[in-house]
Amino acid sequence: MPVTITHADIADLCCGSVFLATGGGGDPYVSQILVEQALKKHGAVDLVPLADVPDDAFVVAIGEVGAPTVSLEQLPIGTECLDAVDRFEAWVGKKITHIVSFEVGGANSVIPLIAAAAKKIPLIDGDGMGRALPEAQMMTFAIEGVRPTPAVAVDYAGGATYFDTADTLLYERQIRNIAMAMGGMVFTAEHPMSAEEARRAIVPGTISFALEVGRTLTRHYGNAKHVEAPLRALFDRSDYGILKHLYTGKIVDINRKIVGGFDVGEATIESVGGNAPAMKLSIKNEFLVATVDGRVVASVPDLITMVDHETSSPINSERIHYGQRVTVFGIGCPPHYRSERALKVVAPRAFGFDFDFVPIEKL
Amino acid sequence: MRVGIDVGGTHTDAVVLDGQDVITSTKVLTSQNIKDGVVNALDEILTASGIAHNEIDAVMIGTTQFTNAVIQRRDLAPTAIIRVALPSGELVPPMIDWPDDIAAELGRHVYMIHGGRTYDGFPIAPLSDDEIDKVIDDIRAKGIRLVAISAVFSPSDPTQEEYVAARVRARFPEARVTPSHSIGRMGLLERENAALLNASLLPLAEKVVNSFAAALQERRIECPFYISQNDGTLMSAEFAAEFPALTFASGPTNSLRGASLLTQLNDAVVVDIGGTTSDIGVLQDGFPRQSNIAIEVGGVRTNFRMPDIQAIGLGGGSLVRNDGATIGPQSVGYRLVTDGMVFGGDTLTATDVAVAAGYADIGDKRKVAALDASMVETAIAKIHDIIDNGIDQMKSSREPVPVILVGGGAVLVSRSLGSASEIRRPEHSGVANAIGAANAQVGSEAERIVSYRRIPRETVLNEMTAELTSGLVQAGADPDTVRIADIEETAISYMADESTRIRVKLVGDLSIAKRRNS
Repeated sequence: MPVTITHADIADLCCGSVFLATGGGGDPYVSQILVEQALKKHGAVDLVPLADVPDDAFVVAIGEVGAPTVSLEQLPIGTECLDAVDRFEAWVGKKITHIVSFEVGGANSVIPLIAAAAKKIPLIDGDGMGRALPEAQMMTFAIEGVRPTPAVAVDYAGGATYFDTADTLLYERQIRNIAMAMGGMVFTAEHPMSAEEARRAIVPGTISFALEVGRTLTRHYGNAKHVEAPLRALFDRSDYGILKHLYTGKIVDINRKIVGGFDVGEATIESVGGNAPAMKLSIKNEFLVATVDGRVVASVPDLITMVDHETSSPINSERIHYGQRVTVFGIGCPPHYRSERALKVVAPRAFGFDFDFVPIEKL
Repeated sequence: MRVGIDVGGTHTDAVVLDGQDVITSTKVLTSQNIKDGVVNALDEILTASGIAHNEIDAVMIGTTQFTNAVIQRRDLAPTAIIRVALPSGELVPPMIDWPDDIAAELGRHVYMIHGGRTYDGFPIAPLSDDEIDKVIDDIRAKGIRLVAISAVFSPSDPTQEEYVAARVRARFPEARVTPSHSIGRMGLLERENAALLNASLLPLAEKVVNSFAAALQERRIECPFYISQNDGTLMSAEFAAEFPALTFASGPTNSLRGASLLTQLNDAVVVDIGGTTSDIGVLQDGFPRQSNIAIEVGGVRTNFRMPDIQAIGLGGGSLVRNDGATIGPQSVGYRLVTDGMVFGGDTLTATDVAVAAGYADIGDKRKVAALDASMVETAIAKIHDIIDNGIDQMKSSREPVPVILVGGGAVLVSRSLGSASEIRRPEHSGVANAIGAANAQVGSEAERIVSYRRIPRETVLNEMTAELTSGLVQAGADPDTVRIADIEETAISYMADESTRIRVKLVGDLSIAKRRNS
């Protein structure tokens, strides 16, 4: 049975999405305003479980590619993703039956709802990552062999670029450069999927799960110590399987620089008052690896999430600053990322680290 | 000789400083017309110090009048906003997230026109004179004289905002304009909010600044006077009349700066312990550490640089419960002087246990003589624990730091704190705000998004420093004292070409202050 998402759900969905974004994703403030407006205007959106997607479905992924910081200055028109859907349908000559978010992280969890609401197209309860990751080839769509195109990117001036390439790495390169050329941010309709492909490639249940995470954080607003138990209960019975408290302490160093168009850096957290060794977090937009005393305690593709210790609000990597008191959680990744094929593109070695992935439950 | 004045909602404080020494200080009631309160304060300090009106080199004024106007929704004039951004931002119009009560004060006179630039300077849409003029005529027809203007990426390229502003002034000479790049940083919604609040405060600003000028004139004080702004630096009276919103956080800023002057400490944690809460702020290099989050003023999101202040629920009136194990956050507040046990009431407060322990001499200590000693000990330990934890969360290094205690509740801290390398309790801390105002410097900051691959970092820094320096010297700074106070660089994630957001802040002493010191 489909459930519906209404404007009243969006604040919690945004909060939960930032939690699952593992430091990436950007501030969803403007997206939240836009989506709440769209849902008030057009009504609720049906959220369809992946298992209920019919055999004749034609699924397309929607999302924002580029620099979230730029979008805080250059606001979207607000109809780009709807425009992308219209242009996609006109170009391909086929009606989209289901929309899916390409990542459940920050703004991208909610942006597809604008098109879904306006076009009365149901949203699939799932996404292409189960978290946030920086590049297209890291999506489960790509890992499961879904062709990235035909794809349409719509920019803030209402213009569009059409893509027709079979190679995901090439697509990533093209879309990244188009995003740059078109003001730093574009909205895409991409990765068209048949029902069979969708069932294979989509990480199921992540939108409703993000909503549940957000609701839990809202309901238990306060110290991370008190939120940990309800969060653990939630993750234990999900596909993520496990949520572990990794560290509580104070940011004593944050060091970031840009390498190849990404934030690359390291944060150091020290325990307050205790003598425990410090935690180090490696960052490439998202948190990739957490070590304590040189020992890896969690690594990509498992999720590493930082929250403000006093309020349990999830913290975006761009907002880390000296002296913050934080709690870091490690979370198992969705099963999609545990295969050999997936680990080739999302494990620590894919990011240049010289060690193999060890699942968080074995650390 | 410098005079510092703090014009609050209730009290107007004034101090006379000779170099760094406090000669005299006073606290009088703020008057309805502002001017009389300032005149009264001036009379008190001139009489007490015996100095003549012509011995004063500069007057520095801090005021919460404009913050209070926004919070209380009063004296805000109807204001129009022209946003230059279409087609971008169409569904996120100006004032979209404002509380209705304050939006109603300004009226939702929202205009969106085509234009703006991308992060790298490319035009989003061409400007149209016809479109601009139609908007101006409509604003004029409505009888609105205050206009805020925002354009996409105007902090990187202000030319479009300036063009529209010039057209407004030419076509509608009675209008007063606040272009957003002149007041805010990156972040269109927040910057445009700041411009709107500022424009709506312009009539009040004129009145307040004129009141200051009239008060000084009445006492024949003819030296220049300055208004303190959010970051602890000064602006001229003319500038303040144009940018009243830049005073929004000057209260806590001046308090921190005052604590720095009174102790001669440049790096310390300042704890202002009041009746209900303690405000903890951090001095870095003599200036307040700034907050990183979007700051709401009266429910409106802005991105002003404001001091990072953490309020914790502990003050002199905090309730002591649970055999001393729980202190606050509930408080008797201003009723401490009637409800507290040492004042004859029957509510056990933090002040009562401090008196019982012999650490403070307030009220009648016999009233708390019968309190259980172990309860008192538990409560005293808990109070120190709460303050210690609050300081620890705020301080900028692992090592213990100097701590400055100000405010009426400072007596609650009587023992050493693990987070504190030393504890200072300066004299005159009741007028720290006025002292902070008198001790301010001039400062200026700028922000750009750049690609260091296209322009070398050094070139960017040199350009920005040169522009800021000339602005500062114009604002009255001595060129020899101008220094870089802060450089902040933020990578723009997900974006190639190594784009970086760089923010540079310069400060300098006022020429006048330096002449005195040398």
